[in-house]
Amino acid sequence: MSAASLTPQQIAGKLPVTVITGFLGSGKSTLVKRLLTRPEMNRVAVIVNEFGEIGIDNELISEVSENMTLLSNGCLCCTVRTDLEETLRELFIKRRAGEIIDFTRVVIETSGMADPTPVVHTLLTDGMVFARYRLDGVVTLIDAVNGPGQLKEFPEAGKQVALADRLIITKTDLVTAEQVQALRDDLAQANPYAAIHTAVQGEIDPALLIDVIPARPRESQISSWLFGKDTAPEAGGDGAEAGTGYLGNRVRAEHTLNVNSFVLTFDQPFTWDAFSAVTQLLTSMRGTDLLRVKGLVNIAGEPGPVVVQGAQHLFHPPVTLAAWPGEDRRTRIVFITRNIPRAAVEGLFNAAAGLTAH
Amino acid sequence: MTVLAHPGSKAANSLSLNMKLLAHHELDGFGGIGEGMALQQTRDGRRILWLAHESAPKNFTGVDVTDPTKPKMVIQTELPHAKVRSNSLDVVGDLMVVAYQTQTVGLSPAGIDLFDISVPESPKLLSHLDRSGPHSRGVHAVWFVDGEYVHMASGAADFEPHNPLDDQFYQIIDVRDPKNPKEVGRWWYPGTRKGDPEPQPRRLDKKFDCGFRAHNTNVFPQRPDRAYCGWLDGGAVILDIADKTKPKLVANWRYSPPFNGFCHTVLPMFSKNLLVVSDECVQDGGADWPKLVWMVDARDETNLVPIGTFPMPPVAAFGKRGGRYGAHNMHENLPVPTSFQSEDIIFGTFFNGGVRVYNISNPFQPEEIAYFVPGAPPTSPAGAIQINDVYVDENRVIYAADRFGGGIYILEMTI
Repeated sequence: MSAASLTPQQIAGKLPVTVITGFLGSGKSTLVKRLLTRPEMNRVAVIVNEFGEIGIDNELISEVSENMTLLSNGCLCCTVRTDLEETLRELFIKRRAGEIIDFTRVVIETSGMADPTPVVHTLLTDGMVFARYRLDGVVTLIDAVNGPGQLKEFPEAGKQVALADRLIITKTDLVTAEQVQALRDDLAQANPYAAIHTAVQGEIDPALLIDVIPARPRESQISSWLFGKDTAPEAGGDGAEAGTGYLGNRVRAEHTLNVNSFVLTFDQPFTWDAFSAVTQLLTSMRGTDLLRVKGLVNIAGEPGPVVVQGAQHLFHPPVTLAAWPGEDRRTRIVFITRNIPRAAVEGLFNAAAGLTAH
Repeated sequence: MTVLAHPGSKAANSLSLNMKLLAHHELDGFGGIGEGMALQQTRDGRRILWLAHESAPKNFTGVDVTDPTKPKMVIQTELPHAKVRSNSLDVVGDLMVVAYQTQTVGLSPAGIDLFDISVPESPKLLSHLDRSGPHSRGVHAVWFVDGEYVHMASGAADFEPHNPLDDQFYQIIDVRDPKNPKEVGRWWYPGTRKGDPEPQPRRLDKKFDCGFRAHNTNVFPQRPDRAYCGWLDGGAVILDIADKTKPKLVANWRYSPPFNGFCHTVLPMFSKNLLVVSDECVQDGGADWPKLVWMVDARDETNLVPIGTFPMPPVAAFGKRGGRYGAHNMHENLPVPTSFQSEDIIFGTFFNGGVRVYNISNPFQPEEIAYFVPGAPPTSPAGAIQINDVYVDENRVIYAADRFGGGIYILEMTI
């Protein structure tokens, strides 16, 4: 597949999917339940684990089918009947046939312990699902009370953090401000490129879930997706330099999660062949430890940046945006890895750049 | 828990994907539009959308769409009687051609009118070309894009078909002097006219027999020597019109039977050597399903090979939604400054399936990328929307017209 094989229009035309993940007890159901009552969710289809968990009886106005219900605010709520692919396919088919609302977004609540990577991969590997949907961000909830322990104990919790485009610390009312700050520092260390928010009783602004991953060239959105804030860190920055505290935190986080993160920047454009060859080499050798990769790549001859993103062995098809969002034309790629040193990755890409330099 | 029918399942609700309604205009209660839509850029800077009505009493309507979010009707004209309809029109500059077709043979007006519309509020009739006759219902569809020739599907006073369903054929009319239009050439399906040496063509079963008539007869500047014609049950026809006085058959892709006839539009994609060919659904309730949009390989124009069809929602979902469900008019890449032209993005109308947009970058697998299905107009006898025609302007603003009471829906794509 060439970098330009999908036009930006086609990507923008796919239905965005927000994945909400988090460990057991992190407050996913509470958050989803609150979201379901918000008026802004009137054209959203929400896929939940169980209707029972979120207690929507009072909101319910009609049952579309065994596993789909329409809520009073116009939000469509459904449970996964067989598998997620099937549910997403069924949703689109019913939407097209006019049997359900014209939802404009899907929110998926993942189940508790799970590694969210397979959910993200579902959006890429199923033909029809891929044709109709696009990932618009992973939102990971971390419980301020139990989160620190879970992050130490369960590797899945670390992966949930590493994959996130947005991190939401929940139950902050049950711990001290210092504890929240310590958790915030840990998270920022593990994944400095996700914006961190807090929520009490599942109360968040639904806008946090929208337009997370760029489908159009808008600079503020791209910076916020890549770096978790509106401006990019200095070239060559890594987690510590991205302004997230002192060395002690960094050491603690790496011990806790075995996760490190860094941004690589390259001044010269790549050829697509060189870039994809390096990416393939990296995923084939260390895919399991490549928790998250996201970035803008300057490919020679393309009108705008190529948006790349991947998790472990699977990369989303690259998307060329119609134009560069600002003056900075450098390639900028965020890596969140497990036990892969920055120097190794950087060396690989520099070698590729050297081979293709004119 | 009370179980209710889902509101989205009713024809009353709008459905959309990647399209947004900018405005809706019911044309003062006469919102039944045929298959004539054209956009005039006036000398005083306005943009007027001209619409031919599907049936009497109204003839044509002009709507100021300079601001497409605020359409304003500027004129609506009357037909002389209830047994004639205009159905089709085209505009080049300030010259408008309007078709007239009567319900039965022998009536008039049956032909075309030419109007000077330099002042849209008061169109001035320049001439009328009479095509009435004992076996003619006049003109069903016109194609006028170069200011010089009208290509049309019409009967004629001197033409007697074996079968009355075969009365309208291809005619080329010279309108270089718009006050004195003249026929310069014609072609009819061999074997349909009394006296033809050829055998009569094999007709479809009575249930689907719609005739061997011309429908859309399109000529583009890329190939001024070709006319691309939908010929109803005769399929797709390509004519050599290098000599306009003697059109000659180049190719005829005839696919009915086994399909159910009514080939409507043959739209060439010159850069790709492809044709987009649309049928027209003419029966309610899915009775003539499937009526499709075809992708046809035309690398060898004498050997047209279908390679795919445009995906449509299943007939189970729309067949019984009210009225017709199936293909009809396409936006025809009119070679005029106010028309969108693309050989990748194709717009089509599907009656109760609304207006649908396709990406044909991969011609073997056309992809539906957007749609808009308006809710049923309150006055529609079909009980559902019946989107009949679509016109897309150079700014990619989409004008979709309902066949009955809905008027026009002005849309934009959000991708």
